[in-house]
Amino acid sequence: MRKALLYTLLVLASVITIVPLLYMLSLSLQTEAETLSADAVLVPDSPQWGNYAELFTRAPFGNFIVNSLVVAGAITLAHLVFDPLVGYVFAKFRFPLRNTLFVALLATLMVPFFVRMIPLYVLMANMGWLNTYQGLITPFLMDAFGIFLMRQFIQPIPDDLINAARIDGASELRIYRSVILPQTRPALAVLGLFTFVFQWNEFLWPLVATTTPEMRTIPVGLTLFNQEYFTLWHLTAAGSVILFVPTAVLFLFTQRYFVRGIALTGLR
Amino acid sequence: MRPRTLSGRYARTAYLFLTPAILFFAAFFYLPIGNVVATSFRTGPQADQWTGLGNYTQALADPAVRHSFLITVAFSVLVVIGSIVLGLGLALALDQPLKGRVAFRVLLLVPYLTSVAIVGLLWRNILDPELGVLNRVLGTLGLPEQQWLNTAPLLTIAAVTLWQNVGYTMVLFLAGLQGIPETYHEAAKIDGADAWHRFWRITLPLLAPTTLFVSVMAVISGLQAFGQAYIITNGGPGDATDLSVFHIFNVAFRARDFGYSSAQSVLLLIVIVAFTLVQLRAGRRGEVTY
Repeated sequence: MRKALLYTLLVLASVITIVPLLYMLSLSLQTEAETLSADAVLVPDSPQWGNYAELFTRAPFGNFIVNSLVVAGAITLAHLVFDPLVGYVFAKFRFPLRNTLFVALLATLMVPFFVRMIPLYVLMANMGWLNTYQGLITPFLMDAFGIFLMRQFIQPIPDDLINAARIDGASELRIYRSVILPQTRPALAVLGLFTFVFQWNEFLWPLVATTTPEMRTIPVGLTLFNQEYFTLWHLTAAGSVILFVPTAVLFLFTQRYFVRGIALTGLR
Repeated sequence: MRPRTLSGRYARTAYLFLTPAILFFAAFFYLPIGNVVATSFRTGPQADQWTGLGNYTQALADPAVRHSFLITVAFSVLVVIGSIVLGLGLALALDQPLKGRVAFRVLLLVPYLTSVAIVGLLWRNILDPELGVLNRVLGTLGLPEQQWLNTAPLLTIAAVTLWQNVGYTMVLFLAGLQGIPETYHEAAKIDGADAWHRFWRITLPLLAPTTLFVSVMAVISGLQAFGQAYIITNGGPGDATDLSVFHIFNVAFRARDFGYSSAQSVLLLIVIVAFTLVQLRAGRRGEVTY
């Protein structure tokens, strides 16, 4: 009896989360007339796979995809290079101003993005970096969350391991590359996953930092469909599906890491 | 202490490794924060005229700014309450030994992976009074059609936000629940406490740190909500969903008043930081009493 109630609750909740996404898929396969019908078509008469091709003729959608891949990919790569390195330094080195610098780093966690939005826009405009990849990428090259995650992960690695390598004459960079980095793989997987998904979905900065359609990322490009091309729902939905599928596939294969990552760090 | 020469050498290595990070955080965090404060004291189309506290006194007296701040707080409160009630409810359900637990967890987490752009556009379509599928479903069920975005716009975009994020709070609560030792509940059971009692007296107090974390995160993200207002309602109808960051965005990039928008950013930042500190302090005190 109690179990039946629990199942009902969970099935209901899952239906509420999944059905709208299935409806998005349905919309993406409808004719324009069907999307505008007052009868709200649930299942299209004949799936319009051509909608997906139409995306590329009605907007520079190929650019959107490439831009999203370049931006999210570059930022993820930068995080994977810098966050563990900085985390390692704070975990294992003693040096003057260590605590001050660490507090200064953690303090950046309290600064929401909107606070940086206006000065970053002015900075990028002055450097001529609006509508460029460097303008989209550089404000997100590292973050304190990733550094903190890596520091927590590296701290338990025994100092003796590092000192033994030093006695063997390994250079500091070599120690980092061959002793530390291989041990951080699970944490790197979580870090890379989260960074990619969040940057792939990022909306505000690409909206602010780009004005030409050719430089839009997919999330911002989608809203263009709605304003400039007057709400073409079949295309908006098709574009949404294209934006969503990579993260959904990635998530399917890594959901255990994903869940553990959230639980461990509360990463957002 | 290590021998001085050694520590000197490692300090140099440390700084060498840290240099990119120091430059990055200086250029993309500390410089912008300095700039936003500096700009907030200026006015004019180029933000080059000194106005002292002018932007701040203007903002504090501006009914539009006050209104957007108040509805942003209301929006955050709705999101926090919803996150805690629904997230905890789902976590409690999934903490039971049920078949398909992992599948439910995965299904519930899926919307969290979508961009606010998708969520906004999708729900704008679903909620549309004329062609929206939700009214169609209500009609089929014999229920009256609703003009969601006209009658309760703020509540509606808060509900959409919850739809996207409840899986995330559910995972956090599940982690918290799994951290509670079984023995507590077993001991209480032997003492004759019923499920309801055990929930109020054991589960809820021991979940306090998780609840605090969830609420801090939900408030902070609620106060920064942007895409919902930008995509679903464009701040309307009227100014009903003119959330603070959306308001700041419009003042900066549509009205091109960087001084005034910077001052509003600083004010909102002060509120967020103060709120976070108060909550964290309250949390620390709370933990001592348990």
